[in-house]
Amino acid sequence: MDAGKVLLFLLTLLTLPFFANGQQGVGTYLGDESAFYASTKQVNQFFRRFNSEEDEEGNRIYADSKKYHSPRLRKKYIEILFDNETSSLDKALKEIFIEEVTDAVNPIYLDFHGGEWFAEVHTRFVYKGKDSPAILFMQLQEEPVGSKWVIDRVYFEPFNKLFKEKTNKEGKFLHPLSHELDFMNLNKIFERRDEIELYTGKHYKPDHLSLMLLEVKRGNLSFVTIKNVKFHFFQIDNWYFELSEFNRKGYNTGWLISNLAKLDQKQKESYKKYIFFEND
Amino acid sequence: MSKYQFIFVCVFAWLISLPTLAQDDVSPERKQAIDSLALEKVKDLGKYISIIGNKDTPFSEANRVIERAMELFADGAQMGVSSLNREEVKYYGVRKYFERLMALNYDRVTIRWFNIQYISDLEKQPDGRYVGVITIYQRFQGESDDGLKYMDTTKKDITIYVERKQTQIGGRVIGFWDVLLGDIRVTETTS
Repeated sequence: MDAGKVLLFLLTLLTLPFFANGQQGVGTYLGDESAFYASTKQVNQFFRRFNSEEDEEGNRIYADSKKYHSPRLRKKYIEILFDNETSSLDKALKEIFIEEVTDAVNPIYLDFHGGEWFAEVHTRFVYKGKDSPAILFMQLQEEPVGSKWVIDRVYFEPFNKLFKEKTNKEGKFLHPLSHELDFMNLNKIFERRDEIELYTGKHYKPDHLSLMLLEVKRGNLSFVTIKNVKFHFFQIDNWYFELSEFNRKGYNTGWLISNLAKLDQKQKESYKKYIFFEND
Repeated sequence: MSKYQFIFVCVFAWLISLPTLAQDDVSPERKQAIDSLALEKVKDLGKYISIIGNKDTPFSEANRVIERAMELFADGAQMGVSSLNREEVKYYGVRKYFERLMALNYDRVTIRWFNIQYISDLEKQPDGRYVGVITIYQRFQGESDDGLKYMDTTKKDITIYVERKQTQIGGRVIGFWDVLLGDIRVTETTS
């Protein structure tokens, strides 16, 4: 390569970031954008702000920058990642949380691919001609190449009503010597369609997701639309927080922490059951 | 083939595949170039939307622009629209969305873009392509001759698909990154 070509190559390299920054303005409207800058516009931005992986203008900070994972910046950013208008978050708890995750010796970062977080999606379906809300719990699943969101669980009220709570109703069991009669008494229990679940084992729990897929395949259930989405984070040891989107005037908007709790592992499991409507 | 010949062939195959593998990764510099390319496409989309929505654009020209705009999108892309009054998302195919925009009964339509956008990281999908989301804000204003005015500001979260492709120029195979737009989530904002 001759000197001219080398110079041209270097100039191209040097001007690349300039042109890239020049792309910042998409449009022609120059209104007040400060609220849009302040808003946590994507869940991706929530991760980046939490970890201090972007600057004030939303440009990515990479590992070779001093600002990358800076505890000082993180404190500033995480402070604005809470819903300070409607959620009754405990101020002292919030401060403990911020101190803990930005600790200089053992900082805690959020990891998009780190698991232990999922989405709760409120949707509307039509079930046998009737409007019916359903809650889908979505999980990010790692694949040999890349990743994808999958439906992990479902809560659907009509299925809940269909399956009665199992109680020891008098006479509602197969007696312990049924096997001697080749279980000929099975015919009786299958006649009692409404109570059939009373004859299942104690660990049996109806799986709403399988039922939903079956009803969709049979044409009885069809998707209409999504209503809203929130996220549950269990990724940080001894902490749980909920992430919701706030579309309102002002600077405290976008994806913000709407609930925060200090929970040990056992409490986390109980809380997950509560979220999944699995509490007995 | 002897054991050593086999090892040599394996090492050689690994070495020649290295540049290809490296090219598939998205370095910060490459990400910046892809972001610029994606923003260009979003900018083009903005221009097309303004032309389609403008009442002064002749019908045939608007249809031609719709075709151009469709070329920016991956197959099956949809717009999911919600408003402040209606939380639920209403779905439109992209073409249908443009046709509705063209058919709006305003005498003057102005579509302007706020000078801000947010670009997510690129995430790899199971099919090997990368996906990202660009967020922009847009102000729509429709006016009728009788003085009726409608105005809204919307947040648009635009999916971008990024794929490594190859083309032949003068007998040489050249790799390049292609960007296509995907589903767009449109949310009315209070600003």
